[in-house]
Amino acid sequence: MSARLTGGMAWLFYPLTAATMLFVLAPLAVIVAMSVSANAFAAFPPRGFTLAWYGRVLADPDFLSSLSFSAMLAAAATAGALLFGLPAAFALTRCAVPGREALRVILLSPLIFPVLVVGVALLRLFSDWNSNSAPFNLLIGHILVTTPYVVRTVTASLLLADLSLEEAARTLGAGWFRVFRRVTLPQIAPGVAAGTLFAFMVSFDNYPISMWLADAQYVPMPMLIYRQVASIFTPAVPATSTLMILFAFVVVVLMERLAGLRRAMAM
Amino acid sequence: MTATIAQSQVFRVSAARWVRKPSSAVLMGVGLALPALCFLALFLMIPAVRLIAAGFLTQDSRGALGGPVTLSHFTHFFATALYSHVLVVTLRISLWTAALAAVLGYPVAMVMTRSHPAITRIVTFITIAPLIVSVVVRSYGWQLILGNGPAGLLNYVLLSTGVIQTPLRLLYSETAVVIGSLHVFLPMMVLPLASALGRIEPHLEEAARTLGMPAWRVFHRITLPLSLPGLAVGFTLVFSLTAGSFVTPAMLGGTNAQMLGNLIDQQITAVYDWPFGATIATVLVAIVVSVNLFSMRVLDGKRRASA
Repeated sequence: MSARLTGGMAWLFYPLTAATMLFVLAPLAVIVAMSVSANAFAAFPPRGFTLAWYGRVLADPDFLSSLSFSAMLAAAATAGALLFGLPAAFALTRCAVPGREALRVILLSPLIFPVLVVGVALLRLFSDWNSNSAPFNLLIGHILVTTPYVVRTVTASLLLADLSLEEAARTLGAGWFRVFRRVTLPQIAPGVAAGTLFAFMVSFDNYPISMWLADAQYVPMPMLIYRQVASIFTPAVPATSTLMILFAFVVVVLMERLAGLRRAMAM
Repeated sequence: MTATIAQSQVFRVSAARWVRKPSSAVLMGVGLALPALCFLALFLMIPAVRLIAAGFLTQDSRGALGGPVTLSHFTHFFATALYSHVLVVTLRISLWTAALAAVLGYPVAMVMTRSHPAITRIVTFITIAPLIVSVVVRSYGWQLILGNGPAGLLNYVLLSTGVIQTPLRLLYSETAVVIGSLHVFLPMMVLPLASALGRIEPHLEEAARTLGMPAWRVFHRITLPLSLPGLAVGFTLVFSLTAGSFVTPAMLGGTNAQMLGNLIDQQITAVYDWPFGATIATVLVAIVVSVNLFSMRVLDGKRRASA
């Protein structure tokens, strides 16, 4: 652990950090406050207190179908990301692959490639293939954006795992699958679980891929909120948004409990 | 003789952690990475190359792409003031966002790595948690805060405290997009910075302080220079992610602060001009790739110089 901040440095950095934390929390807090305002328009100051908007959101068939579709899409995309990402992370950390560094850069490249452009490129590909199934197209796109997160977290967890334990198990005659199941997996499980949750949320929150590949029938949650914000006749937007915020915070607390947030992000 | 055997033993264990024979370790590595590589090639690399190629093709009246190969879409993009203006706005917003993220993020990263574990935990939580809230929701929050007219939160506060007499026009401007992007991408600055700061050998700072260096000089001469690689990574990430954004400029910039992403959407969804949309996408990719290559180069050079 590095030296603690003291003296003038502490006087400078603590207030600045506190101010930045307020900046980070402000837009979320405002949404939560507006969600219980009796005012039909999102205008300040909020008036009265009501939970009626929540009742309206939870009874809205559009909200429920978007929510369940987004949840299923995110679950399927995360499963796909694990299917591709787990073995790739093992290749990067436990095998003698030629061009390891290049392989790492390629596997993580979707993280810096503009997501919006990935969406356009896929739209072009799918229209050439006459692939008109929105759920299938969305699934491919979402696997593409979530896989690098899985690769990154699992790689980081594998680098932290104790290699000498694996070597001891090998020396004692355990086959590779047994080493994986009994020695490696227990060590990386918390990191992998937290990373998986993060990948789930990356898909659940995605807009710039979905905007190209969704159709009228399958509308992921972020697209529903985007449309509702654009239309003035949906006073329940703060309540819908608050539900999204609450869901995200539950997931973040889980991630923090499982492995710590920075390990889950592998950053 | 024994030494050679011991050495080869060590080599065998370290080169083939999973499989005994080195050749099968290579085979296994390739086998494990292959599914992900094929998926990426099929759904990212090939479509991306085809999209970029579309920017050099011509679209006929039925919407099909074909010859002749042409550079005209690119010259059209750079020669038309309307479009080159969007490019300038995109670069300006991305630069401001990355610079402000560095200014705001540095104290946060310092506190994250150099304070009581409880404070570290809270700061880490508040910094990362919003990352998991959709950009649409967060931009909506900024719409409520920056709203033009007296009903926006900021205007309401400033008007009722008498700081201003007429409401400010904040929403649908470049400033609003910078604020929103800063909120979205701040963690991408803080996290690389925090890991760079965490890697600094604590004895260096302690030694300097024991030798009588004042705290601010320790920071200026030791901490700051050693954290520059983290700052460079953060700057690159925030810049490239902001340049490629769509939701924030659409919701907070409106027509006054369009970015390249919005122009791509407009050309493909509304105008149905695939070659021109592909051209703008190519310009965006070129910006992001060159910024990343440049920063990788600088960081590699630094690493080699310090080694």
